Amino acid sequence: MARHAPRVSAIPRLMLGGRDWTLAALLLAGVAISLLVMKASGGAHPFPEDVVRAFPMVEWVNQAEKWLQEHFRWFTRGISEAVGWALESLELFLLLQPWPVLVIVLVLPALAYGGLRLGLFTSFGVMFWGAVDMWDVAISTLSLMGVSVLLCVATGTVLGIVCSQNDRFEAMLRPVLDAMQVMPAFVYLVPAIFFFGLGGPSAAMAIIIYALPPMIRLTNLGIRQVSPQMIEAARAFGATPMQMLTKVQIPQAMPSIRLGVNQTIMMALALAVLATFIGAEGLGAEVWRAITRLKVGHSFEGGLCIVIMAVIFDRMSAAMNRDRTRALPAGFLEFRLLPQKWDSHPAARVVEIGIDRAWNTVGGACTATARGVGRLLGALAALVDRSMQIRVSAWCARRGFLVTGLILIAAVLVIDAHLLRIGDFPREWEISIREPIDKVVADLTVYPPFIAVTQWIRAAVYLYLLAPLDRFLVELPWFYVAGLVGLIVWRSVGLGFAIVTTVALFFVGAADLWTITMYTLAGTTVSVVICMVIGIPLGIAAAHSRVWDAIQRPVLDTMQTMPAFVYLIPVLFFFGGNPTTAIIATVIYALPPMIRLTTLGIGQIPLEIDEVARSFGSRTLQTLTKVKFPLAIPSIMLGVNQTVIMALAMQAITPLVAGLGLGKEVYDAMNTANTGRGLMAGIGITLLAIVLDRLTQSWTRQQRAALGLS
Amino acid sequence: MKALNRTGLLASAGAALIALGSTPAAADLFKSPVADWTGGAVTCEIIHQILEREMGHRVKRITMPSGPAVSEGLRAGDLDYACETWPSYSTTKEKYVTEFGGDGSIRYYAPVGVIGQSGYYVPRYLVEGEGALAPDLKTWEDLNRYKDLFKTLESGDKGRLIACPVSAWECKDHDRAAGLDLEYELVELGSETAHWAELKGLYARKEPFVAYAWEPHWIHATLDLVEVELPPYSEEAWPVSDWPEDVTYNYGTPSFEEEHPDVVALIRNFRMSNSEQAELILAIDVDGRDLDEVVEEWLENNEEVWRPWVPDQG
Repeated sequence: MARHAPRVSAIPRLMLGGRDWTLAALLLAGVAISLLVMKASGGAHPFPEDVVRAFPMVEWVNQAEKWLQEHFRWFTRGISEAVGWALESLELFLLLQPWPVLVIVLVLPALAYGGLRLGLFTSFGVMFWGAVDMWDVAISTLSLMGVSVLLCVATGTVLGIVCSQNDRFEAMLRPVLDAMQVMPAFVYLVPAIFFFGLGGPSAAMAIIIYALPPMIRLTNLGIRQVSPQMIEAARAFGATPMQMLTKVQIPQAMPSIRLGVNQTIMMALALAVLATFIGAEGLGAEVWRAITRLKVGHSFEGGLCIVIMAVIFDRMSAAMNRDRTRALPAGFLEFRLLPQKWDSHPAARVVEIGIDRAWNTVGGACTATARGVGRLLGALAALVDRSMQIRVSAWCARRGFLVTGLILIAAVLVIDAHLLRIGDFPREWEISIREPIDKVVADLTVYPPFIAVTQWIRAAVYLYLLAPLDRFLVELPWFYVAGLVGLIVWRSVGLGFAIVTTVALFFVGAADLWTITMYTLAGTTVSVVICMVIGIPLGIAAAHSRVWDAIQRPVLDTMQTMPAFVYLIPVLFFFGGNPTTAIIATVIYALPPMIRLTTLGIGQIPLEIDEVARSFGSRTLQTLTKVKFPLAIPSIMLGVNQTVIMALAMQAITPLVAGLGLGKEVYDAMNTANTGRGLMAGIGITLLAIVLDRLTQSWTRQQRAALGLS
Repeated sequence: MKALNRTGLLASAGAALIALGSTPAAADLFKSPVADWTGGAVTCEIIHQILEREMGHRVKRITMPSGPAVSEGLRAGDLDYACETWPSYSTTKEKYVTEFGGDGSIRYYAPVGVIGQSGYYVPRYLVEGEGALAPDLKTWEDLNRYKDLFKTLESGDKGRLIACPVSAWECKDHDRAAGLDLEYELVELGSETAHWAELKGLYARKEPFVAYAWEPHWIHATLDLVEVELPPYSEEAWPVSDWPEDVTYNYGTPSFEEEHPDVVALIRNFRMSNSEQAELILAIDVDGRDLDEVVEEWLENNEEVWRPWVPDQG
């Protein structure tokens, strides 16, 4: 991170308040002028009807769909049959194994890569699926995930490599990838059924659309980031382009590619839940079935299973990416279970020494077993070929965990088949947290002080934020808004993108989506503003207090991975069926990146900056507001960027609880199986997302440049 | 449910294997969606169990939200039959069902026997008992008098009427409200789930509300609601009137009827009245018992009812 450390020389300038007030003045003037324009124009100015009639885009899309249905079905059905076969085989295979096999399969890599803590968490997590009686559905979700992530990784790496070799292909693919990520899934889920069939195969296709982009992007990025010196050196040794790729570039890009896998897994899981809308079985269906009967506790159990799955996958793939070769100083006792901070407490040391011994013994035993197996297999291999003997023995000896794991699985299978039937997860171990959760929600719904607070929030958000902004945006003439947005984009990003944006806005108007696009813009803006107001202080708090950070982290993980269906209904109980409920739900989903990136931004500031500021006589609060906060702004802006994208993604879900705007249009279109209408509104959301993304990115860049960060 | 899922899965895997060998015997595994309301699920479960017990078929039950995906699944041939569509709630009938101008890819086989009736409802605590806030609220003509009671932050001077949740349903709330001069702001909550959640929350807090609802529905087992009388239905008056009766149908594709006339004959013979179904719904939603268990018990105790539905085989 040292590379990005801000220059210490920037501090006096920041502290002296050498800030640029022109931006604030411009903003104020802009708002004032816009208010005048709104008053002068008097009432709503919808997009001209004639233009709308001249472009019957919904019809065009539906005709195109029909044509595709007639001519391409044989092809898509062929693909889906293969995918469906893979899915069903995997699911059936996992279901028929005695339950400890799955535990071993998931816990061993967790232990091997993530250490004892992750191993323990994984084993508890997997057993939780069984304990709340969701073993079978969790396996369905796992199989869907497994097959789709494999497909994503395979296609994503190939496309990423092509991107890295060809600039034009990369430039062409970029807007497509943007669209794939932000286009609401409800647009393509129902049409996918006719092409790919109900359930698994369609779900896998939808997951690939949604989760493929990070895989392509990060492969491309990883390969492009390989240092020129290394390429030069390889070339000097006479490497062919193919050798260069397979022997230098791809191995060097592995960390980035693994990060791509991590992102792909997380996104795939999010969509695996939504896929219940097209009949994909699994945890998503379980949550949906519970929530349609308003069984909050039951749906929460299902949601928790998904959160656990997400955390396991996230931590495991992150751990695989970590450098495990760091050398520990001699005599240093690495704490495997308890926090390392406690290493001055004798009791903690005793516990950890015990754990360390056990860990090393088990590790030694694994290695010994693997060696033994290696010798045995080597001896067998020797019958075929002498050189193979060495290779086989060495291969086994290096993979202690894997070999032992396979032996354990074999043992479980043998026991299950011949000695003791293990079969399904034991019924006696089942637990249930449904009732307490139901009770808490029911009690809170009728608890007057709590409801008073929620109703106050609802009134404040509606009266002072949402309603005025809605009115403001809807009543401004469309050409004024389009012109203003074009101007802002031109000044911030560039002329080319400004032209694209203006054309896109015209397209939105011509598709008869102007007014609802403004609703979406208003709702998203209000949600993002609330996220900033809540998220920045929480982020700062986490940067200053380790304890707070430790408490907050699992909550943020849960907020990001818990399927929205689970909390939509309690939020509705508390806040009532009104537009504010949709805003609150959006805030829950979009808040985590805001908090995380604020914490990151402040935490990244080198200690010496704190020192320098103090030597200038700055107090803690002053340092925070005058030095640290401005320096963290690039990171915070990145948080805003992420929050905006997530808030827009949530627009697809909020129509389920009275959300308005483009998301509702998509949802209504899905309900009437009108692909054209859904696609138009989906393109509207995509355009908003891309424009807002580029805008915030370019502001972040400018801010970084101003601070001398890059 | 768990055991059923497992057998379904095994069966489907078996069918997939057989399908690979392309033997026609694979066809006796049927796929049907589980409706996401109890009534629809009960109807289908009875049919599934008769098919499995008496006719030697197997059925894979697919949990999914009812709606366009079910229609698309049928049309695409991935589902075989489905239960209890309510025509006025079907958002895609104009696209697929011949009688409504669709392309005929879906066919309504026969009425279920369950008749739906929609209306506007208020909670009983609002109109009856001590401290009732609107004791005289009986018909639509009284609604305007009590509009202040139903005012909210967002509804301005008007009262708030929680209308049909999904805009594609045939409720025509706006035409009705305009025709009856109701000084009410109509609120559409987007999904059925949100609609019931809102009612449940308001009911728990004993707040006043007037909302769209229908019968038979499990919500009436949880909330005590009273219907507000509307002008009687007639074809000329609609939609400025009460709703017409909603005759519900079991449905599937024309090709499924050609391939499996015996199954469709069973579906055509099936009949169940509102009160018969209500008994089963109560056992599931109020007593919290499992769907398959309740249906199994019903089949055991009511053989004289369902035996005649089973077509002669052979």
